[in-house]
Amino acid sequence: MSIALESVTFRYPGTEVGVFDIDLEVTDGELLAVIGASGSGKTTLLKLIAGFVSPASGRVLLDGEDVTSIPVRARQLGIVFQSYALFPHMSAEQNVAYPLKVRAVPAAERKRLAAAALELVGLEQFRDRRPFTLSGGQQQRVALARALVFQPKALLLDEPLSALDAGLRGEMRDEIQRLQREYRIATLHVTHDQEEALSMADRVAVMEAGRLVQVATPRELYDAPATRKVAAFVGKANLWDGRVESGDSVRVTFGLLRTLPHHYPAGESITVLVRPERVAVGPAPDGGNSFSGRVVRDRFLGAVRRYDLAVADSIIFGETGRRGRIDSVHIEPEHVQLLAR
Amino acid sequence: MSFVTGVYLVYLFTPIVLLFVGSFGQLWTNSLLPSGITLGWYQQLWHDGSFRRAFTVSLEVVTVTCVLCTVLAVPLAYALYKNASRGVQVASRVVFLLPIAAPPLVLAFGFILVFSSDLLPWLGSLWLLIAGHVVLTLPYLLQALVADMRHLRLDELERAAESLGADFRAVFFDIVVPMLRHSLGSGLIMVAALSIGEFQLSNLVAGFLYRPYPVVLLQAFYGATGFACAATVVLLCLALLAATAGAFTARSASRYRTVRG
Repeated sequence: MSIALESVTFRYPGTEVGVFDIDLEVTDGELLAVIGASGSGKTTLLKLIAGFVSPASGRVLLDGEDVTSIPVRARQLGIVFQSYALFPHMSAEQNVAYPLKVRAVPAAERKRLAAAALELVGLEQFRDRRPFTLSGGQQQRVALARALVFQPKALLLDEPLSALDAGLRGEMRDEIQRLQREYRIATLHVTHDQEEALSMADRVAVMEAGRLVQVATPRELYDAPATRKVAAFVGKANLWDGRVESGDSVRVTFGLLRTLPHHYPAGESITVLVRPERVAVGPAPDGGNSFSGRVVRDRFLGAVRRYDLAVADSIIFGETGRRGRIDSVHIEPEHVQLLAR
Repeated sequence: MSFVTGVYLVYLFTPIVLLFVGSFGQLWTNSLLPSGITLGWYQQLWHDGSFRRAFTVSLEVVTVTCVLCTVLAVPLAYALYKNASRGVQVASRVVFLLPIAAPPLVLAFGFILVFSSDLLPWLGSLWLLIAGHVVLTLPYLLQALVADMRHLRLDELERAAESLGADFRAVFFDIVVPMLRHSLGSGLIMVAALSIGEFQLSNLVAGFLYRPYPVVLLQAFYGATGFACAATVVLLCLALLAATAGAFTARSASRYRTVRG
């Protein structure tokens, strides 16, 4: 089963906010994460697929079938809401069995299926507990079991981990990934946490102001972001304004940076991207792309140390495992990326 | 502050305490407290046909009022909650304020004008009395239900149910109605308490055969003091019972919501 959006546009009434001209496909068994800042339209995208809102134009397809005008209840989608939306007056088992009940599955069969689903998420001993007596992680598992128990065509996750604390979030990431792989179900995962998206997804879609700006694998997205904003949003980054000097160099405020041969014409204004872990401590053996300065911020994070090196009027943000004094850094030309402005 | 509170409580409870004392007093004329102790007033009350009948009428009116209020208020509150348009919101606020804006006396005069005509000759019937009680108490129940719907974030649960395959009927009966049981319970107890004690409308609208308890109670004050006190204590006990049940329902509801939040 797959999810597809074809030229979908939706605008909230009386505003300019919405999503515009979206083409996106989540293939069978794929986990696609949608990330973006607040208000970028990622949740709207989920609502369009779910059927909570209808597009002004374009089509929503589920496994090739046009479901644009089909009501939510008939779309057969498993949805995990940000707040889990568990029914507080029902036990965990009744919550999980509810989609089977509305499908008129016989009582004994739905009890068996609900018990199996709860077992799959490790909550068989909590079947009679009400949601408000369960922890956040347990509620999350019940919500997942409920969304999967009726064999949905696809799974939609609306920031499902945002209400959990950091430790539990990591555990639940693995849990969601495990279940998604086990069910081999097309999954759209909306999140504002880029680390969560990169670690879980097969592909990541980045949204900005209601438009898709890049859809790529986590590695591609990190290594070759399409725009300055994507680079800033995905991972940490040094982003400097520069001007192309020649076919293999660019001038930034604190000096000349050598790059690999590129296609930008000399004199063009450009954004220079260098990931902090690519900034090496100390001068280069050949002296190229080396800069001296003074550390103005130093953050010790255990295995990693993050520092801001003031060079001329700019800051070079670096990451290293070294603990000694830092007064110069260098950047290998292959780690200098150029992004059009 | 505590002095003012103390004075207020004394002011509030003194008449109630005196009613209790008076209902067991043998003789009470021109003295601070009655003399002698007796259960006679309660026995007399028990054997008084008009009071027993009035008590039954009151229970009938309360029961039917509660049923009608439930049947009307739940879908109406749901419609008000779902339709967030400005016009509907204004209309709902007017409905909520109706009991304050139009006191029972005004409603009663309206009923007399309309239902004493040959076209609608229903003045004095039990059903008109019940209709009056429904009109007076419905806004309180509506208010309790709408507030609870907003508090419970029902829309999110409805969306979840819908996404799981539930149609409108299933969403309403499986999710909305059970979720509202606490506010419905406490709201109905308020309806019952108001209906039990309602006098202004009942006194003008009720016929001789269907006089509820508070209307008959008024006559008791023209007789012996002890009898009047005993008759009032019965009404007071009913009201206290309703208030206590309401408090317990509200407490369990708030506990449930606190845990959920």
